[in-house]
Amino acid sequence: MAERFFTRRDFLKAAGAVAAGAALAGSQMDILASAAEKGLIEYPEKTGLHLLTSRPPNLETPLHYFKELVTPNNALFVRWHITPIPTSIDLSQWRLKIGGNVNNPLALSYDDLRTKFEKVVFTAVIQCAGNGRAFFEPRIPGAQWKNGAMGNITWTGCRVRDILGMAGIKPGSVDVAFDGLDRGTIPSVPDYIKSLPVDKALEEDVIIAYEMNGEPLSMLNGFPARLVVPGWYATYWVKSLSDITVTDAPFEQFWMKTAYRIPDNACGCVEPGGKPKKTVPINRMTTRSLIIEPLEGAVVKRGQPIEIMGIAFSGGYSIKDVVVSTDGGRTWAQAKLGRDLGRYSWIQFRYPWRPAKQGRYTLMAKATNSIGESQPVEGLWNPSGYLWNKIEGVEVDVR
Amino acid sequence: MKIAYFIYALILGMSLMAASGLSGQQTGGVRSISLPYVEVRLADGEGRDIVERNCIMCHSLDYIPMQPKFTKAQWTAIVNKMTKTFGAPVPDDDVEKIIGFLTIRYGTGN
Repeated sequence: MAERFFTRRDFLKAAGAVAAGAALAGSQMDILASAAEKGLIEYPEKTGLHLLTSRPPNLETPLHYFKELVTPNNALFVRWHITPIPTSIDLSQWRLKIGGNVNNPLALSYDDLRTKFEKVVFTAVIQCAGNGRAFFEPRIPGAQWKNGAMGNITWTGCRVRDILGMAGIKPGSVDVAFDGLDRGTIPSVPDYIKSLPVDKALEEDVIIAYEMNGEPLSMLNGFPARLVVPGWYATYWVKSLSDITVTDAPFEQFWMKTAYRIPDNACGCVEPGGKPKKTVPINRMTTRSLIIEPLEGAVVKRGQPIEIMGIAFSGGYSIKDVVVSTDGGRTWAQAKLGRDLGRYSWIQFRYPWRPAKQGRYTLMAKATNSIGESQPVEGLWNPSGYLWNKIEGVEVDVR
Repeated sequence: MKIAYFIYALILGMSLMAASGLSGQQTGGVRSISLPYVEVRLADGEGRDIVERNCIMCHSLDYIPMQPKFTKAQWTAIVNKMTKTFGAPVPDDDVEKIIGFLTIRYGTGN
């Protein structure tokens, strides 16, 4: 009956398991409900993304956005560790404080970042360390990301090196710690602070970004400013920065000493289910590629030409080549690489294909970077589900 | 019936107006967003209320159904991480009940 269907309660029930909290107006609730029908949720400043968790928010990008060379700001994934996260920033009050083992402690405003230092612009892949965790076998606890915890963004900012130059690093400095405005619910939750060795922090491409794709950072991606360590996993790219502290001893808090560590060996891996003898903080990204078109399960017409398209990137070394297989890895052929936006960006690859026979085909892509790093045939395993870069098989149906 | 239609139209209208409410807003030097509340209903089962009461202190409940089906040993390790590493103040009596619920409803059962 119509009147039954149109009661507010049933409308929401039909639209998905999204309901109202005290802080949410009924009207907003219904937008969320309609997005939930498609399995997506719209957060502030964001388009519909896959919801992993809501508090703190962890949102994954649908793969089709990766057809674009640069990822739109509103489609970039969201990843926070602890809650509450910053939801309101008064730029007249916000300051980035630089202290610790320096001669001149600083408190920089948003305008200071934009006007007092040389502006640096580059395009770089941002990827969560746990991107692909859902594919590990045996399975691993944590955020169950598939392939959507990454994106390719043009960042604008100023060098950490220039800021630390202004503050004057004292001799004997060891690490530089970066803290954002997120805090745990209770004091016992370790604050999310990440550190870089001083020599890494002083590299010329390590920046404090205040723009993404020419606009201020979106709140959920770290407004007003975040660290960008191109080539390294995004665990270091601390959002909504508040403090930079130079230390004269190794920085050993929870998120460095216990979390985000990988086996200390060449592959960063152990036998599936095993335990590493020794670990080190995760750092540079592995080389990987991903086919975006066609997607898993697509139906392709026999005899009709299509283009296999995807992306490839590595931890700061340009992609030298991408090979594609349409027969499950038995034979490989060179794909054509697209526009090069620099060594930190991903690059698009294309391979024309015209399947002659009906049947199921497994498409694969394999990237190699300029220093010879490539991708494994079998997924490499580690206890936290990091570094995922297996050569993935995309099954399509030719009819 | 007419009233129901009216309510529906009202909700629809407000949805359109709220489009801006879902964006970040900046007035003066202040930029703000408001986060949506997403309700998560865990599976029925003994101990669900205890799980909800304790876990929701620090994170939304969707962390639970997101996980693969873990064994009792794996869920125990996760709950211990919450209490020991993150210091979640979970009463001792509740710890076993939480592990039991997670193992049965969101795990391998043993």
